[in-house]
Amino acid sequence: MEQVNGKQKTIRNVLYWGLPVLAIALIVAGWIAFSGAHPDLMPSPATVWSRFIKTFTKPIAKTTLLGHAWASLKRVLLALLVAWAFGISFGILIGWNRKARAFFGSIFEVIRPIPPIAWIPIIIMWFGIGEFPKILLVFIGTFVPLVINTSTGIELVDRINIQVGQIFGGNNGQILKDIVIPTALPSIFAGIRTSVSSGWTTVLAAEMLGANAGLGSLVTRGWQGSDLSLVMVAVITIAIIGALLSVILQKLEKVVCPWNN
Amino acid sequence: MPIEDNRPVKVEVKNLTKRFGDLLVLDNMSFNIRKGEFVCVVGPTGCGKSTFLNCLTRIHMPSEGDLYIDGVPADPKKHNISFVFQEPSALPWQTVAENIAYGLKIKRLPKEEIDQRVNQILDLMGLQEFRNSYPGELSVSAEQRIIIGRSFAMKPDLLLMDEPYGQMDVKMRFYLEDEVIRLWKELGSTVIFITHNIEEAVYLAEKVLILTNKPAKIKEEIVIDLPRPRDITDPRFIEYRNDITDKIKWW
Ligand SMILES: Nc1ncnc2c1ncn2[C@@H]1O[C@H](COP(=O)(O)OP(=O)(O)OP(=O)(O)O)[C@@H](O)[C@H]1O
Ligand SMILES: [Mg+2]
Repeated sequence: MEQVNGKQKTIRNVLYWGLPVLAIALIVAGWIAFSGAHPDLMPSPATVWSRFIKTFTKPIAKTTLLGHAWASLKRVLLALLVAWAFGISFGILIGWNRKARAFFGSIFEVIRPIPPIAWIPIIIMWFGIGEFPKILLVFIGTFVPLVINTSTGIELVDRINIQVGQIFGGNNGQILKDIVIPTALPSIFAGIRTSVSSGWTTVLAAEMLGANAGLGSLVTRGWQGSDLSLVMVAVITIAIIGALLSVILQKLEKVVCPWNN
Repeated sequence: MPIEDNRPVKVEVKNLTKRFGDLLVLDNMSFNIRKGEFVCVVGPTGCGKSTFLNCLTRIHMPSEGDLYIDGVPADPKKHNISFVFQEPSALPWQTVAENIAYGLKIKRLPKEEIDQRVNQILDLMGLQEFRNSYPGELSVSAEQRIIIGRSFAMKPDLLLMDEPYGQMDVKMRFYLEDEVIRLWKELGSTVIFITHNIEEAVYLAEKVLILTNKPAKIKEEIVIDLPRPRDITDPRFIEYRNDITDKIKWW
């Protein structure tokens, strides 16, 4: 009996580890087949690999691939820090204070459906294509989901938990800190997760429209110079960094909200 | 005939009326609870027992009349009250030990005092092994023990309990009934204990308040004149129990 269970368990483990590996292997196999059939449309993995090595030996715009990745990351992180500070505080304000919600709520309903990249033309016209407009764009794209997630989380607070705070003699500040914000933490965290992925895509879009450094600028450069291998290198790097960010956030969430499984 | 009670008044309920919109729930209730008294409140389902306690803790404001604690209008910030809610009310983001310490931290007790009380309560409630678990990982009965422990830890002057033992199995209920009596005797607290279980009311109370069907009024106050520890098989105990059961059934 034990043995059968043990065996089933290993089979299941192999399955859950094996399936993702299988999926990736299939993609690579498809890639090889496709690039073999249409070398003009798609460079082979080996070509992309040697292009990858070349980004270090022969830097693009005086910057290695790592430098470009860091340029993009720096913009996102800077914008995110500002967006987290303001977005979360603002979300708490309009979640907790009815008058603030009545006033700002409608504005957010209007702004919410606008995709961040739709701001690009306006921002470029106003601020040009320097560093600031890029960071501002990412800020706009991440501020809104943060405010909405935070305020929704705050509104979800259970009446009974607030009553616990009141009966044990907590004042408004203590109730906000001990009861309301912890209740909202999981949804604040959902907002942070959305902000990171939307910030990451926004910065790349902004860089594609004009930048000296950054992964987005590599995509544009490769595209305009018909260097498809370079486009692939940039795209794969973008995907890997995006995946890493999401793994880091998942781990962080377990630390910040341990009760939430 | 009960002996005259000379203890000062702890809770004074004066012409208390509570409406939710058009629904009249409490109808002009007036009565006193004395300092150190153990009162059980029984009454039909939905008659307004929780509403009465919620007015005392200011979760709801009375529509008319008022409640006074030690002579001043009730206010949870001023008095050392603790409350066991009828519904589960442990804070899900705090561990068992943090939940028990919650009220003590608001009262800003010294850390050693908090640690010592939390440990004592964890032992008392049989929760020591779960001290670092979260309420969501425990059974309903264990979660209820967290909030009972949270209120006991306060060493309250006024302990309010709204059907606290409804989720417990018989063994745990008997144990916790004896524990609430012990706490009451040790601290000299005033206890208001709502229950559906008439045997429990007769076992615990000095005085049982029987409420009428909604809108609630006091139908009768019954003083339980039995020595402690009480014996649920004692014929006089059974007499009280049957008497109260009849009075709840027939109005
Ligand atoms: N916040 C509220 N808004 C409207 N009606 C309410 C509210 N709270 C309670 N009521 C109504 O008041 C009446 C009394 O409710 P209450 O919870 O006080 O009864 P109870 O005696 O505690 O019942 P139970 O034995 O089920 O615990 C019920 O009819 C209930 O529907
Ligand atoms: Mg009730």
